[in-house]
Amino acid sequence: MASKPVWEQIGAGFVQHYFQQFDSDRTKLADLYTDASCLTWEGIGYQGNKAIMEKITSLPFQSIQHSITAQDHQPTPDSCVMSMVMGQLKADADQVMGFQQTFLLKNVDNKWICTNEMFRLALHNFGA
Amino acid sequence: MSDGDYDYLIKFLALGDSGVGKTSFLYQYTDGKFNSKFITTVGIDFREKRVVYKSNGPDGASGRGQRIHVQLWDTAGQERFRSLTTAFFRDAMGFLLLFDLTNEQSFLNVRNWMSQLQMHAYCENPDIVLCGNKCDLQEQRAVSEVEARELAEKYGIPYFETSAANGQFVSEAVDVLLDLIMKRMERCVDKSWIPDGTVRSNGHSGHEDIMEPKSSEKGKCAC
Repeated sequence: MASKPVWEQIGAGFVQHYFQQFDSDRTKLADLYTDASCLTWEGIGYQGNKAIMEKITSLPFQSIQHSITAQDHQPTPDSCVMSMVMGQLKADADQVMGFQQTFLLKNVDNKWICTNEMFRLALHNFGA
Repeated sequence: MSDGDYDYLIKFLALGDSGVGKTSFLYQYTDGKFNSKFITTVGIDFREKRVVYKSNGPDGASGRGQRIHVQLWDTAGQERFRSLTTAFFRDAMGFLLLFDLTNEQSFLNVRNWMSQLQMHAYCENPDIVLCGNKCDLQEQRAVSEVEARELAEKYGIPYFETSAANGQFVSEAVDVLLDLIMKRMERCVDKSWIPDGTVRSNGHSGHEDIMEPKSSEKGKCAC
């Protein structure tokens, strides 16, 4: 564990925290975004903590479970961490769907925040 | 099932709130079974069935049976994560709009689904059949048959109370939808409205064959 590069630890720590919060109480994700953060959710862009949280909390399901299949992390030239997650999710009693999510994490005032995030369901036969 | 031995390929789309039983409904129609466990197979997004459609001539004599390959498309639940797009609706020829008789909200949302359909389908008045599903759960019923029928009448669409669990009126609902579509095709003199890909003739050369005027407006449907 100690031999893992620091960006791996930061990225993996973030991913674990993010999805745990998402599945238990999405409203608590607000701590992760600033007013400059950008989210692209299924091709629609949201900017700023307020717009992002409105989107995330208004998703129409009672419960959701994420299962992470794989994750990759890299350091960027400006000391951020880029993370890509591939996994499956299940909303209420719907069928399981694949998804991909990418994060850019930045250290601001000794705290890691998410400056950029992109989400897509891994569906290929339903039109754009 | 997927061999090319059919006259027309027609795509139907099942719509409605999550949890109303779209997948089970389609499963019941194509396989005649109810699968109460939810199907976790990722990637299967439509089911298929071959039917023979007979339209009746003006004298009541039945015409040549047409072999129809029906494709029934389901959503994967992506409507929770994004709005269904134009691309999703536009290839479908007919729509099965489902709500859950035990869930009033799913009935109230029929209105929204109708306006989405009117906006995104290939035309403003596509063929739609409304299905109040889970009619086997009588003691949990939250929507009366009367109010559901009133809504269907308001939109001028057929209504069925169906049960994906025991099969009640499932195939009837799909048959009526198929009938509406075949009649629409027969009726139309100028067929240019038919979007590419929604109706595909097979083994014929181009549109003339699809548009071949049928002998009558009268089909087998009693509705």
